[in-house]
Amino acid sequence: MNKISIPIGPHHPLLKEPLSMNIEITGEKVLGGSLRLGYVHRGIEKMATQRTYVQDVHLIERICGICSHIHTTTFCNAVETLLGIEVPPRGLYIRALMCELERVHSHLLWLGILAKHVGLDTVFMHAWHDRELVLDIMEGISGGRVSHAANQIGGVRFDISDKQAEMINVNLVKLKQQVSGVLDVIENEPALQARTQGVAPVSAELIKDYCVVGPVARASGVDVDMRRDDPWSPYDKLDVKVITRPEGDAWARTLIRVLETRESLRLCKILVEDMPDGPVSVWASRKVPEGEVVTRSEAPRGEVVYYVRSDGSDKPARLKVRTPTLPVLSLLPVQLSAIHVADIPVVLAGIDLCVACADR
Amino acid sequence: MIRSLFILFLFPGLGFQILCGLAFEWMDRKLLARFQRRVGPPWYQPLADLIKLFSKEDLLPESASGLFEMLLPLLSMSAVLTAGLYIPIAGFTSFSFEGDLIVIQFLMSVPTLAYYLAGIASVGIYSIIGGGRSILQYLSYEVPLLITISGPAVMAGSWSVAEISQAQATMGPFVIFQPLGLILAIIGLIGKLKRDPLDIPSASSEVVGGSLTEFSGTKLGFWYLVMDIQAVVGIFLLVNLYFGWSDFSLPLLGIGIFIFLCLLMVVILSGTSAIFARLRIDQLAGLGWKILVPLSLLQLGFVILMGV
Repeated sequence: MNKISIPIGPHHPLLKEPLSMNIEITGEKVLGGSLRLGYVHRGIEKMATQRTYVQDVHLIERICGICSHIHTTTFCNAVETLLGIEVPPRGLYIRALMCELERVHSHLLWLGILAKHVGLDTVFMHAWHDRELVLDIMEGISGGRVSHAANQIGGVRFDISDKQAEMINVNLVKLKQQVSGVLDVIENEPALQARTQGVAPVSAELIKDYCVVGPVARASGVDVDMRRDDPWSPYDKLDVKVITRPEGDAWARTLIRVLETRESLRLCKILVEDMPDGPVSVWASRKVPEGEVVTRSEAPRGEVVYYVRSDGSDKPARLKVRTPTLPVLSLLPVQLSAIHVADIPVVLAGIDLCVACADR
Repeated sequence: MIRSLFILFLFPGLGFQILCGLAFEWMDRKLLARFQRRVGPPWYQPLADLIKLFSKEDLLPESASGLFEMLLPLLSMSAVLTAGLYIPIAGFTSFSFEGDLIVIQFLMSVPTLAYYLAGIASVGIYSIIGGGRSILQYLSYEVPLLITISGPAVMAGSWSVAEISQAQATMGPFVIFQPLGLILAIIGLIGKLKRDPLDIPSASSEVVGGSLTEFSGTKLGFWYLVMDIQAVVGIFLLVNLYFGWSDFSLPLLGIGIFIFLCLLMVVILSGTSAIFARLRIDQLAGLGWKILVPLSLLQLGFVILMGV
C-alpha cells in the first residue's frame, strides 16, 4: 500500500490551538509523525524583562487561557521569596482555592474535548455544562471567568465574603453530584472504553526519560505531584491524595483526570471551610533585591517551573518558564506510531495539549 | 399520466420525500440537542441551511471534475427517491412488483458507492481516506443488513415490500417474531446513513469532512439532502418490514400508528447517536463479521425453522 502523509494542523478540526503535524500513514495504520511548534510564540519571557514585576503578573496571566492562575501564583511565589515577604494565610488559602477550581475547570474542559474526539458529543456537552458551575464560582469571587487577575505580589487582590463562601459551597455540592454522574457514565460506556483502552500505552521508564509530568505521568504509574512533593502553604496542611494508574494508556489518563477532579472538589471544600481570618495581602516593595530563585507548583497539566533572576531593579533580569506541555509534546512522535488513524485524536486529546503554554 | 406525475413529484415522490427529509433532520437535531442539554435549532433550520448552501460559492480542487462531482449527488438522490417509490407509505402503494425489496437494497447502496467515488475524485488527502473508509464500512454492515431484512421476506413468502407489509395485517407484526432482526436492521441502517456511532467515514476529528471535505455550495447541499432522504426511506422501509400496515376501521388510526412508528425510529436513531462513542473501523469490521453476521444468520434460521 502507498504511504500517504496527512497534514494535521495548523488548522484542523482536531486542534483547538495551532500546532502542525505531518503524519505518515498507510491505509489505516500510522507509521510515524513529525511535529512543528511555534505558531503561538509571543516572546513572553523577553517581554517580561521589559516590564516591572507588577505589570508582569498581568502579562504572565496571559501565557495560558486555561491555567492562567497557576502561572501567576508560581511567579508571585518566586518574587515573594526574593523579597522575603510572607503572604498572610488567608491570601494563601484563596490562592490555593483558585488553583483547585482551575484544575476542576481544566479537567472538565479536557474531558469534553476527549469525548468530542471519540464522537461522544453528549459527554462533551454535559462536561462543559458542569464546567459552567466552576466558571460561575470563579466569576463570583474574582469577576473573571478565565483570567481572574487574582494574584498580586504579596497576596491576592480580593477577599471572599461569607455570602460568596456560601455560594461556593452550594455550587461545589452540585458539581460533586455532576462529576460523580460523569464518572459513572465513562466507567460504564463500552464504546468509550473500547476506543481508549490499550491505545498508545507509555511505560514509566519512557515517561522518566522524557521528563513527562502531571496526569500523563501519573497514568503510567509515576507518582509525582508537586502539591505533595514540594508543597507551598496551605498544601502542606492538606492531605493531597495522589492518584496513579499503572496502565499508561488513554483510558488510564481519562480515569486519572476524572478522579483528580473529584479530589480537587474535596480539597476546595476543605479550603473554604478551614479558611483562616485576617488580611489577604501585604505591602510589597516594587524593587526586588538581587538574587535568583526557582519555584514550582502543580498546574492542571503537571509541574510548572519558574526561574526568576533579579538585578535589584523593578524589572526581572531573566524569566524562564517551563511548562508541562513541552515534554509531553516531545513524547508525541513516539506515541504516534503503531496506532490507527482513528487513534490520533485519542492520543492527542489524551495528553491534554496546551500549545499556548508550550510556545509562550 | 397526471397520476404518475403526482406520484413522481408530489406524493410519495420528490416533494414528499424532501419534506420528510428536512423534517427528519430537524427532529434529529432537536432531539440530539435536548439529549445534550442544548436548545436545538428552530424548525426551519434545515431548509435555511439548504438555501444557504445553494447560494454559496461552489469550489472544487482544480484536478477534480465539476460535472462528475455534480452528477454523483444527483445520481444518489435519484436512486434513493426511486427506492422510496416502492415503499408503501401508510398503506399507500404507488409501485410494486415481486422482488422490489432487492431493488430497494441495491438503490439504497448507490449513495455509498457515489460517496466513495466523490471522495476519490475530489483528490484531497482526507477525502481519499474518508472514501476508503466508507467502502470498508459498507463491507461491514451491508452483509448482515441484507441477511437480516430477508427475514421478513421469508416469513411473508414474498420479496415485495408492499406484500410483506400487508401480510402482517393477518400474521401480526414481524417485530414480535424477529426483535433481534429489527435491532440488527437498525444497526445496519445507522451504518448505511453514516450516523454517529458509525460516522467513521466522516469523523471530523480524524478525517475532517471525509469524502465531502473538498465540497462546498450546491454540491454539498445536495449531498446533505441525499443523506436526509436516505434516512427517511430507510425508516419507512424498516417500519414496513417489521411493523407492517393494518387497515383499521377508523380511517386515521392506521396513519397515526404509522407516523408514530416512524417517529419512534427517529428517537431510536437520535438516542443511539447520543449515547455511543464512535467505533474504530477495525472495531466495526469485527462487530460486523464476528457478531452481526452470526446473529443475523441465527435470526434468519429461526424464521426459516418457524415456517417449516
